[in-house]
Amino acid sequence: MAEPSGAETRPPIRVTVKTPKDKEEIVICDRASVKEFKEEISRRFKAQQDQLVLIFAGKILKDGDTLNQHGIKDGLTVHLVIKTPQKAQDPAAATASSPSTPDPASAPSTTPASPATPAQPSTSGSATSDAGSGSRRSSGGGPSPGAGEAPPSATASILSGFGGILGLGSLGLGSANFMELQQQMQRQLMSNPEMLSQIMENPLVQDMMSNPDLMRHMIMANPQMQQLMERNPEISHMLNNPELMRQTMELARNPAMMQEMMRNQDRALSNLESIPGGYNALRRMYTDIQEPMFSAAREQFGNNPFSSLAGNSDSSSSQPLRTENREPLPNPWSPSPPTSQAPGSGGEGTGGSGTSQVHPTVSNPFGINAASLGSGMFNSPEMQALLQQISENPQLMQNVISAPYMRSMMQTLAQNPDFAAQMMVNVPLFAGNPQLQEQLRLQLPVFLQQALLQIQQGLQTLQTEAPGLVPSLGSFGMSRTPAPSAGSNTGSAPEAPTSSPAPPATSSPTGASSAQQQLMQQMIQLLAGSGNSQMPEVRFQQQLEQLNSMGFINREANLQALIATGGDINAAIERLLGSQLS
Amino acid sequence: VGLQEKMAVSTGVKVPRNFRLLEELEEGQKGVGDGTVSWGLEDDEDMTLTRWTGMIIGPPRTNYENRIYSLKVECGPKYPEAPPSVRFVTKINMNGINNSSGMVDARSIPVLAKWQNSYSIKVVLQELRRLMMSKENMKLPQPPEGQTYNN
Repeated sequence: MAEPSGAETRPPIRVTVKTPKDKEEIVICDRASVKEFKEEISRRFKAQQDQLVLIFAGKILKDGDTLNQHGIKDGLTVHLVIKTPQKAQDPAAATASSPSTPDPASAPSTTPASPATPAQPSTSGSATSDAGSGSRRSSGGGPSPGAGEAPPSATASILSGFGGILGLGSLGLGSANFMELQQQMQRQLMSNPEMLSQIMENPLVQDMMSNPDLMRHMIMANPQMQQLMERNPEISHMLNNPELMRQTMELARNPAMMQEMMRNQDRALSNLESIPGGYNALRRMYTDIQEPMFSAAREQFGNNPFSSLAGNSDSSSSQPLRTENREPLPNPWSPSPPTSQAPGSGGEGTGGSGTSQVHPTVSNPFGINAASLGSGMFNSPEMQALLQQISENPQLMQNVISAPYMRSMMQTLAQNPDFAAQMMVNVPLFAGNPQLQEQLRLQLPVFLQQALLQIQQGLQTLQTEAPGLVPSLGSFGMSRTPAPSAGSNTGSAPEAPTSSPAPPATSSPTGASSAQQQLMQQMIQLLAGSGNSQMPEVRFQQQLEQLNSMGFINREANLQALIATGGDINAAIERLLGSQLS
Repeated sequence: VGLQEKMAVSTGVKVPRNFRLLEELEEGQKGVGDGTVSWGLEDDEDMTLTRWTGMIIGPPRTNYENRIYSLKVECGPKYPEAPPSVRFVTKINMNGINNSSGMVDARSIPVLAKWQNSYSIKVVLQELRRLMMSKENMKLPQPPEGQTYNN
């Protein structure tokens, strides 16, 4: 029977449907099912039915239920959540561009995950440190469009170099074993962000990093970087800008800040992308600048196909240096030793490709040193504590080095490769990897010898290259680098070799164990030389006069600059100019 | 401010439990508030008004975003003098919530720890949602959506 309209059919009810953003009133028959309700809602809210989630009185309304079942009556409110696939809750409309998780350990894996921005390069092997991983996202060097972008991208690209440096990858050596070694360590480092952050946090590393000149030298010495700089002068501008360097280092020290910056950069990049023609510009930037940079960085590791493409992978003999570094010994000769080629060659100086290793190894000592110091060389808690203290206080370290007992210890080390091997074993980096230990142990005696050989060569080189600058050394008649370099802090110790030219060593070593001993003693003396150094003013008398005559009348500033650059007038001038301008 | 509250304040008399709960029921059905929490009786026939279900919509820009958390709230006989016991049904990773049972630890949630009889189920749910937005919680990794505790 036909029902009089309205008489028997129940009147529709008005139900308010509320989202956190919106509110709509929907009229529906109270016998309706939730499904019908959703149909109505999807029309009104312009959303798909399956995106709708209805909540009433704390319960989720299922399609098969009826409104009546849930007690939904006229005038009541039902909550609505509209789900969108990209995790942007409709009510919230969150379009936060969450960059890929800042996870240093996943440096290689984020590359596939990164959004289609071309400027996010794929770096398979280069990023070993936070710094390095940050560089993934960089958009190349100076020429980035936004002024504000220049710093982060520049930073990041510099850091790609750093990342290489700071990574253990620079351990690459001539022997195949070493490549593996290095790769393994790199992998370990990558997979252990804690280790990395430990290294980064160590005051030694920080000290070093707070010295922009040092960093600059390191980066510039890499031949790839040099090429890059020729092609792209912006990059050299970047490097010469102390502010930028400092900022970069700040970043490297502070991963959180780095991530922040990366995120900003990402956002800027995506903005860029949307500008017409922007995409192309980005792409160009990437190919022109970033790729070579990354190849450069990767080169240092020599652990991927590019290295063969781009020429011989640098073989750094920093391995021997590492043994030295296990003692709290910053090695002022570190640049020179690697200049000789493969360790096995018995120290014939061939230079050339060696130079690029200079800097990685220079920084390496500190990196590894820091880590290993904490491990306790002698397995005794007191020693460990002492070492930790030392590593925390570079000044202290210097004092320690000059102490007589250190001397004898180092002599012992020199004489007894086994001992050194033992200590090597304790390096935490290896702790998890017995294979590495094995390899190292085998290679150790060889290294030690080579290291000493190379050190000797370095010394000789220094002597030949800078006779005027260098007062004669102790009883062995070898030249001693200028007292300032020895006396200066660990962070600037490597500067000394860079300030005095360090071309490849050409002399062949004597190779006797007595020579080794001699070398050790010389090294010790050098480092201990801080005790005997004269006042900087006296040391730099000549340089100060020169600066004065050039017009730099601020004696204080001159002195500072000279100290910082270890007596290198040119560098000091740059420093002075830089500080005036910035 | 509800009738009950007004009564309590003006007369100083403790409002009977059922009155309170009925009022809360009504509020829950009317959708009072900003729509990010919802609550209601678990069973409409429950005359004791003890078992309630609650719902919290995960706040945006947190790891809880876009998720709907279901809770069970139990208002005991001493309610509202005593706080209700609250339990998450949907799995969640948050400070103060037991990882395996979903029980909310009354000592870690300020509103429950310092309960006042003017508080209500709504207040508890809103507080939990607010805590989701706190720095210590917002980035906690969450279990996959849709998982529930077994008890």
